[in-house]
Amino acid sequence: MAEYRVLLVDDEEEFVSALSERLMLRGIEVDSALNGEEALARLVEKEFEVVILDVMMPGLGGLEVLRQIKSTHPNTQVILLTGHGATREGIEGMRLGAFDYLIKPVDIEEMLEKMKEAAKTARTG
Amino acid sequence: MPEKVRELSRVKEIGFMGKVTASLSHEIKNTLAIINESVGLMGDLLRRDAPDDWPPYSRLTNLMGSIEEQVQRSAAIVKRLNQFAHSMDKPLVDLDLNETVNQTVLLAQRFATLRRVNLETQLESKPLHLLSDPFRLLYVIFGFIEGAINCSPKEAEVRVKTARSGERFQVTITDQGTVEADKIRALVSASPSAEGEQGESDLALLAQTVEALGGTIAAEQGDGGLNKVVLSFPASMPVI
Repeated sequence: MAEYRVLLVDDEEEFVSALSERLMLRGIEVDSALNGEEALARLVEKEFEVVILDVMMPGLGGLEVLRQIKSTHPNTQVILLTGHGATREGIEGMRLGAFDYLIKPVDIEEMLEKMKEAAKTARTG
Repeated sequence: MPEKVRELSRVKEIGFMGKVTASLSHEIKNTLAIINESVGLMGDLLRRDAPDDWPPYSRLTNLMGSIEEQVQRSAAIVKRLNQFAHSMDKPLVDLDLNETVNQTVLLAQRFATLRRVNLETQLESKPLHLLSDPFRLLYVIFGFIEGAINCSPKEAEVRVKTARSGERFQVTITDQGTVEADKIRALVSASPSAEGEQGESDLALLAQTVEALGGTIAAEQGDGGLNKVVLSFPASMPVI
């Protein structure tokens, strides 16, 4: 049985595909979405402890998706994916309730560590 | 151009440089992220203890193909960045307006994609040679394209066309957006001000730079509710 469920949201399909497979090889249940609208639809269908969310996406941007997730699924923890660290988006994201952020390209061990902590927070509420 | 306006323009030009380089660096980061995960996945697959599926040739071949594509994509982005950087080498060069417009559209593409707007070009078939400032041309054309993108609804089209009109060369930007020709005419005629509402003040400053390049701006309402901005430049910009 998977340790926890993760929703991976990024508009780069190849990135999502490769990372999803890497996480699944590590026993994590992963679902994915290629845009914000799809992500919100997935969250209606299923509960996820953790969402890995790209900040810059066409259409509904990452920060707006974050805002909606925190409103409708307050226990779900969101880790933002950003191209740079202390940007306006990163800081705003933390203010909106993101659990943490990761800078692309990500180190998978660092990501796993943060996801584990986030999942623990999601379960303990 | 009055000194204060020149200073405001300078600030905006620097902002334009920052915006474009940040956008290109973000695109490069995305390609690196894909390469990073693809290589990581290759390592994961090779380390697996799966004798029935060893070696995973087809998966590895697919991943290598993906890496090659992303390397090509990165190279194209770096080329755009390099061309952008070199546009600042000299303030007066003999250039082809078609190439400048093409370069500008490539730089603006990501901004259009983020807003789900379709950016199209329709370039004159023959080269349009003019003597001008390559960076400032990029800056003004980008500015008007960005304005069109920002006021366009999702799935709308912004079209950028080049044409020769007598001794002058035109760049026409057509959009289906919410800011109409009358408003654009008023904004480009206004006096630039640091206190002005962002966007509105930007158009006034862009207009000043167009004028410094020897250009003119016309805003028209086209058929079917299309907004049209026509930038017209001389074959040789005035030298101060």
